[in-house]
Amino acid sequence: MPSAGKTKHRKSSRKTSRKSSALDSALDQVTDESVAASMKEFQDLLAQAKGDTSELIRQNAQELEERLVLLKKRKIDKEDFDFFLENQKRDLRVFIDSQPAQSQERAEKLTLHILEIAATKVVPVLIMMI
Amino acid sequence: MNSNTARNFVLRNLLLCAAAIAITSCGTATFSKTGSDAQIESLRNFELAFIDEFAVPGKRFNATAFDVKVNEGNAKFQQVITNEKFTARRPVLVDLKGQFDADATHLRSKASRGKVTPALAGEMKKDVNKVYDHALGR
Repeated sequence: MPSAGKTKHRKSSRKTSRKSSALDSALDQVTDESVAASMKEFQDLLAQAKGDTSELIRQNAQELEERLVLLKKRKIDKEDFDFFLENQKRDLRVFIDSQPAQSQERAEKLTLHILEIAATKVVPVLIMMI
Repeated sequence: MNSNTARNFVLRNLLLCAAAIAITSCGTATFSKTGSDAQIESLRNFELAFIDEFAVPGKRFNATAFDVKVNEGNAKFQQVITNEKFTARRPVLVDLKGQFDADATHLRSKASRGKVTPALAGEMKKDVNKVYDHALGR
């Protein structure tokens, strides 16, 4: 009986973080130390953004993660990914400019900076894995 | 006494006029805002229909039909931007036009090479809905 309960719990937790796990497990495969450090920085920032109080920051992180998973699964290609990244940037610039000056740096770090790391460091790694 | 009554009468009429003007202008602003929102919704529907029509995996690309639709979109956006009464909303409409231009460019590039996937269409529509929701302050 206890083991059944355990299985059930594991199943439900896997269901809620399915997309996160797909991306994390791919990025955790990186063995090169310098690349792994970048992946870790990206994963930490993404986790921070996904738990942010601002809905727009959370939404941006969620979309980025979903699109990285789509890229890894070859449901979209790099051209599509870059196109969506530009859309996200265009949308976010308006949001960041509308934030109070003291919040802008943090908002930028959790939005545009994450997108930049994804484009320059994470995407090449994912493409190598395909 | 008579002069006081006359002054009160004038003052009361002035106040009534001011109140009437304030109420009428509020009503006009609300009405125009509703009209402006409706225009934005109409642009959203146009853009979603555009994606539905051309972001279809495996569909042969019809360049003429595509160009006709893009021209129709350009004219529609231009008309809405020109007619917008709230000048503060014009930059938002210009941003929406920028989104339409970007969508049309990407879609042409992908559809003409037969590289449209179901995920591309779905994600494009998601972005369109998001940017229009933000434009409407939602």
